[in-house]
Amino acid sequence: MSQEAVVQTRSLAKVYRDFWGRQKVRALKALDLEVYKGEVFGLLGPNGSGKTTTIKLILGLLFPTEGDALVFGKSASDVSKNDRLGYLPEESYLYKFLNAEETLDFYARLFDMPAEQRTERIDSLIKLVGLDRARKRQLQEYSKGMTRRIGLAQALINDPDLILLDEPTSGLDPIGTREMKDMILRLKEQGKTVIMCSHLLADVQDVCDRIAILHQGELKELGRVDELLTIEDVTQIRAKGLSEDCKNELRDVISRHGGELQDLSNPTTTLEELFLEIVRDSAARPGRRAQPAEPVQAAGGEGQG
Amino acid sequence: MVLEEEILPYLQWLTGGPEGSIGAIPWFFVIVFALLVLGLLLGFAISAARHGPLGGGDRVYRTLTAGFREMTHLSGRRIWALARLAIKEALRRRVVVALIVFLVILLFASWFLKADHKDPTKLYMSFVLTATTYLMLGIALVLSAFSLPTDFKTKTIYTVVTKPVRSGEIVLGRILGFSLLGTVMLLIMALSSYVFVIRSLSHAHEIDAANLRRIEGPGGEVIGYEGRTTRDLYHRHTIDLGSEKSGTAIVENGHYHTIEGEDGPVVSSSQGLLRARQPLYGKLRYLDRKGVDKERGISVGSEWTYRSFIEGNSQAAAIWTFRGLDASQVIETESGEQLPVGLIVRVFKTHKGIIGKAITGGIQVRNPETGLTSELYPFEALDAQVDEQNIPRKLTSTENEPIDLFDDIVTEKGGRMELIVQCLERGQYFGFAQPDCYIRLPDASPAWNLVKVYSSIWVQMVIVVAIGVSASTLLNGPVAMLFTVSFILLGFFKDFFEGVATGTEYGGGPVESLYRLLTQKNIITDLDPGAGATFIQSVDSVLKLFMLAIAQVLPDFSSFSTVGFAAYGFNVPPDRVLQDLTICLAYVAGTAVVGYFLLRTREVAK
Repeated sequence: MSQEAVVQTRSLAKVYRDFWGRQKVRALKALDLEVYKGEVFGLLGPNGSGKTTTIKLILGLLFPTEGDALVFGKSASDVSKNDRLGYLPEESYLYKFLNAEETLDFYARLFDMPAEQRTERIDSLIKLVGLDRARKRQLQEYSKGMTRRIGLAQALINDPDLILLDEPTSGLDPIGTREMKDMILRLKEQGKTVIMCSHLLADVQDVCDRIAILHQGELKELGRVDELLTIEDVTQIRAKGLSEDCKNELRDVISRHGGELQDLSNPTTTLEELFLEIVRDSAARPGRRAQPAEPVQAAGGEGQG
Repeated sequence: MVLEEEILPYLQWLTGGPEGSIGAIPWFFVIVFALLVLGLLLGFAISAARHGPLGGGDRVYRTLTAGFREMTHLSGRRIWALARLAIKEALRRRVVVALIVFLVILLFASWFLKADHKDPTKLYMSFVLTATTYLMLGIALVLSAFSLPTDFKTKTIYTVVTKPVRSGEIVLGRILGFSLLGTVMLLIMALSSYVFVIRSLSHAHEIDAANLRRIEGPGGEVIGYEGRTTRDLYHRHTIDLGSEKSGTAIVENGHYHTIEGEDGPVVSSSQGLLRARQPLYGKLRYLDRKGVDKERGISVGSEWTYRSFIEGNSQAAAIWTFRGLDASQVIETESGEQLPVGLIVRVFKTHKGIIGKAITGGIQVRNPETGLTSELYPFEALDAQVDEQNIPRKLTSTENEPIDLFDDIVTEKGGRMELIVQCLERGQYFGFAQPDCYIRLPDASPAWNLVKVYSSIWVQMVIVVAIGVSASTLLNGPVAMLFTVSFILLGFFKDFFEGVATGTEYGGGPVESLYRLLTQKNIITDLDPGAGATFIQSVDSVLKLFMLAIAQVLPDFSSFSTVGFAAYGFNVPPDRVLQDLTICLAYVAGTAVVGYFLLRTREVAK
């Protein structure tokens, strides 16, 4: 991975004040971060931890009380940085009286895109997010999932190099969640940089290369997901087709070497995988009860963990 | 028609008059400079309080340089996209309802507007234009003040400002969008109003051929016919026809009819309902009762000092000096070539006389260089009527010598001529203001004149939109609307507001006025001397300074209105239209810059 920093924050701090200038809350305390080109970076933290404030400071929607935020080496308050940036806010704040085409056309015009390029881009994005049949419907008639999709499309209208996603899977059903995560991974494959913040830890774990954990405005942990989640003194073995004798032998071997056997059982799949399997099966054979899923194939076979 | 301030030629207005008055351009830059200094000081004070003097100075410098840099990177496509969005948003907010309201007003107006008025066109035009003005200003106010705050409230602004959109484009896009929408609505209102006025006032009369009285010449031959039309729409006309039974119905209720004699006299539909008289104004001075030159006549006690009066049956006179007269301005009549003159006389009576009877006055013309004067031509003056006089080209001098208006009275250099008006009846007075007497140039196109009148409403609408949008970059919807309303109201009473600030109005400043109000003290007597009065006046002197500063940026809405021109049937001078459009442009530019910096320095997500 290239080490070119796309986003840098230097002692970034934000204090919210009331009308009289009195300090209300210190939302972010001296945050130092670097997000590199081509990585998916996750901001994690409980409510009020400062992750949305961080995103807003990076976007220039808020002004820092102290420190700086740089995007592509430019100050966050520099409008020209937005040329290469896409942003999906938490609630998809879009104009409800426009339809999907009009929405994307409006945002494309804000990028000074010529008409021909606009038409082409709008068409491909509407197909990409699966709203082809709803392209003429006003957004006020959209479900939450559809709104998130058109929100994602507007964030990608300029084919951005940096995409900031605020709770990208919020309000999506499991299929939508999976599609969103797949989309993030595809963006990564295309060399884009993605910064996302989410409450859903599993989502972050699935797609992020690196994460930062914030709590009460302070950076508590920063690093690669695989490194952070590795438990150094625990070994996991996954195997298929073992007999009971073999399992007993394994127990003995572990005991003989002074190890402590914590678990030796059949693994379960995730609920997400089970749900997706059922939906896929139902789509393939409509009107019939879905066949039971094969858990081992779904989870264990991929060698997760 | 009342014209309280002289309309200067556009270039003179722009660059400054020869009489030392400061031109619009220098004045604009003075205000821009003052606002710039004020903005910098205020910005620095706020920034320094948060980030210290050095940090504050740095931020002010960066904001200023970024501002100038961004202003050169405005994109037409982005501004147009934001303008389209503003239009769609306004349509979604059911702005079209305002048009329905306007049409309903027109439908019910016929019940209340009486066509028996002596000048129904004036009544109808005043009504539709005033209704249009206030409705358009209301629409402009609501649309502009609530649009951006709604974006902030619904947070849709997040997805806009995170695109490469400059704050100036957001402000200009809104101004453009609402102005375009307002223009279309204004066009619809203008067309509806035009149809309403014409359909309400258009009519024809009939002539009963049997009642026509023959006028016979000395030899008994028929030289013409006279009679009256039938009574329609509350009036009838006296008719004066030639031997062919064709001619004109004499002007009544501000219009006339032509009459064609073939196959019996047929009266045409009403003509001259809408006019665009083109006056050539002169400079007015007075003579008092002893014949001494004065700048003004005498006061008859009216609080409105627009007109001053001359006494009847004395040497008192009102003298207009006209420039730029030439023989091309004469009209051909049956009595020969004549110079058409318009005269409006306010009659002030000190005794009743005969009710409804006109007061006799006299007109003379004089060469300002040689002093050669024509003999006095009497005329009959009714109060506040536009009296269209014609001065014959062939005149007689006071010495009873035949003279020619253009050869003997009008000077060769500059085409100057003096026109002297006197009141001839003892105890009666004539009142005049400078625009009350003018040379009538050929009428301009009434339709084009209406376009100019509506352009003045358009200018007011755009200024309100610009102020509303600019205010809404900082304030929330209701507060932005209140701010804009205050700005408009103060603009309508700008002269009074400025008068209070400069101390030319009675009653002192705001605090003194409040004190007088609470203590029921009249506005003429001085406050009792003492510490209290000194304190009140000291506070007022500071407030007056602020008021004077605010007055310099207030749009003078009362002066924008050209309703009077259309109602009284006068052409709106092109100089006036150009001046209004220039002022509009200055306001749009100024408020857009102010709006830009307010939005640029605002935390969008706070």
